[in-house]
Amino acid sequence: MELKITNLTKEFGDFTAVNDLSITMRNGVYGLLGVNGAGKTTLMRMLCTLLRPTNGTITCDGKEIFAMDGEYRKILGYLPQDFGFYPDFTVQDYLLYIAAIKAVCPAVAKKRVKDLLEKVGLSKAAHKKMKKLSGGMKRRAGIAQAMLNNPNILILDEPTAGLDPNERIRFRNLISELAEDRLVLLSTHIVSDVEYIANEILLMKDGALVHRGTTEQLVATMTENVWKCYVEKREVPQLIERYKISNLKTDSHGVELRVIAKEKPISDAVLDEPVLEDVFLYYFGERVGEEHAAI
Amino acid sequence: MYFYIILEKGLVRNMLQFELKKIFLKPVNKVLLVLLLVITLIGSFLAIRDVKYYRGDEPVLSGPLAARQLKKEQKKWEGPVTEDVLRRVIQENQAINASAETEDIGFAQKQGFADLQDLICAAFSEPGEYEPYLCDTISPDKAAKLYERRISRLKKEVSEVEEGRTGAFSQKQQDFLIHQYESLETPLYYEYAEGWKALLDSQYLPTLMIITIVIIGFFVSGIFSDEFQTRADAIFFSTKFGRNKAIFAKIKAGFLTITVLYWFVMLLFSAVILGVLGIGGAGCMIQINYSNWESMYNVTYFQEWLICMFGGYIGNLFILTFAMFVSAKSRSAVLSIAIPFVLSCVPMFLGRVPMLTDFMSYFPDMLLRINKFIGDFVFCEIGGKVFGIYSALVPCYLVLSFGLLPVMYYCYKKR
Ligand SMILES: Nc1ncnc2c1ncn2[C@@H]1O[C@H](COP(=O)(O)OP(=O)(O)OP(=O)(O)O)[C@@H](O)[C@H]1O
Ligand SMILES: [Mg+2]
Repeated sequence: MELKITNLTKEFGDFTAVNDLSITMRNGVYGLLGVNGAGKTTLMRMLCTLLRPTNGTITCDGKEIFAMDGEYRKILGYLPQDFGFYPDFTVQDYLLYIAAIKAVCPAVAKKRVKDLLEKVGLSKAAHKKMKKLSGGMKRRAGIAQAMLNNPNILILDEPTAGLDPNERIRFRNLISELAEDRLVLLSTHIVSDVEYIANEILLMKDGALVHRGTTEQLVATMTENVWKCYVEKREVPQLIERYKISNLKTDSHGVELRVIAKEKPISDAVLDEPVLEDVFLYYFGERVGEEHAAI
Repeated sequence: MYFYIILEKGLVRNMLQFELKKIFLKPVNKVLLVLLLVITLIGSFLAIRDVKYYRGDEPVLSGPLAARQLKKEQKKWEGPVTEDVLRRVIQENQAINASAETEDIGFAQKQGFADLQDLICAAFSEPGEYEPYLCDTISPDKAAKLYERRISRLKKEVSEVEEGRTGAFSQKQQDFLIHQYESLETPLYYEYAEGWKALLDSQYLPTLMIITIVIIGFFVSGIFSDEFQTRADAIFFSTKFGRNKAIFAKIKAGFLTITVLYWFVMLLFSAVILGVLGIGGAGCMIQINYSNWESMYNVTYFQEWLICMFGGYIGNLFILTFAMFVSAKSRSAVLSIAIPFVLSCVPMFLGRVPMLTDFMSYFPDMLLRINKFIGDFVFCEIGGKVFGIYSALVPCYLVLSFGLLPVMYYCYKKR
């Protein structure tokens, strides 16, 4: 399986959401990281044939995906970012319906629905109506839905949004398990989601890929250092203004900070090993601060 | 290969079932379904209640009781309405007038032949008028010439309107009309037909058709647009069948919903009315009822029923497939829910504007009101030959309905 994107561009009016992007992906997990509006969803929608590119081509094993039509969609699983479903269907009916339109034969579908419900922890909710599920449960149904046809290409747009920490860990394990023999592309702005399971991480900014590689490779591209320091609360605002702060932990005495900077930010700062989160911040700046505080 | 075909068949049936589920699981649609059932039953109840039997000073009977009495009275007049019968109508009328104490009592005594009296009134009144007491003054011999009068009055009427004026008939239309009139087999056969009259000669049937179409409109207008409304479209269109067979399933589900619900309502309505009032008179020509006296369609009540039902179905089918098409194209249910209402009601009002009358007679709402127009002169001309308008509307809208299906399919597929 080889998914090859060449000079892909998507314009909305005079706004370019995806800009001359080229990449070749094979089996494995690809983590697509980028801030809001980077163009992740637009890229994924094109990969799912839902949007026509303004320019460039996408080929699957050498064949144009739009020309492949049903043959391509047959091997595709997609979880959209704004996941929509049929509110009055039960979870089981919903999955059986999606299985039907995915051309999974009824007997196989039944078994697979049962397996997947178990895998995503929804067995007990199988006969609940979709509209009565909690946000996280809906998303789990969405993940199950994407897997129904046992796709060779699995595209997940922010699959972990709305999952609780337990589920998130479970989801990561599920993905690693599923990743064998298929291509998984998942987007997120939560670095820890992909840090350990992705074989390759793609950093996307303003519609283009700025960097790609394993965690180690990406860490190596950093030209600044990560400093760990312990300061009093009142000093924090000043530091935030001057440096990129990748993590911030408060206790009763003060605040522990991870600061990204070339030079020592304060005298008692200690050098630390950079992790993927630091890389993310390094490339994307403070714009992501809020989201990180939430994790 | 063979196995694969069987497999696909199973999948297609599956998809269809789920599409139907999508429609009928919607809470609002469940309510509407019950409403439709209730309205149908109320409609048939009202139509039945409209059958009246007068008993002079005593309270009026209505519904099945009235029907039973009427049947008894009318039994005496059953048979071909010959010149002799017509003379007897007038004589009997005059005898009752002379003997009855009050007008009400007299009226009650005439109920056995009131239909035939109405016919005489309709025939011998001036065109466009109806003199209810005409039978009191007309001579029996004049009344006996009922059928000749029908044709002679038509000839006078069609030639009197000047050419080029509104309401004028072209030569071809005149010929057609006269031919139709002359080929009506006389004497007409008379028997009790209250069931068919309640069913077909009332306002309830077209009203029920409009209500049915509007309610089915709610069911089918979401079939395409709901995918977008619920944002399920992204998954739908990225599946293998999402751009072909699953869309077929939607179209099929719509078609089935329209067909099954329409026939369910109409057959239930007809069955209740005919079940209570009886199917007697099925073979009578519709002209036996004075409101159809001038009709150019030489059909029996049963044939009229078939025409109304089938024509109404085609009207429903077209208007609702059009609504589905709009839903597929606009991705919004709001617009497509409005379509059935607009198409079935608005032309009716516009048709009252004299300038637009002709134009509006080609609109599909005409098919919902066949029983109202069956007595009117509405024509169409195909290849130089004149026909009744319905000879054109029925096949035309049948073809258009099916023609819309592939258009709908490609519109939705393209997104
Ligand atoms: N249909 C559209 N019409 C116009 N502009 C669009 C359309 N879809 C996306 N955009 C724009 O393209 C840019 C990229 O959007 P996209 O949804 O791909 O970002 P994203 O990386 O998925 O962001 P997020 O992390 O918030 O999901 C945004 O600026 C957005 O406003
Ligand atoms: Mg997005």
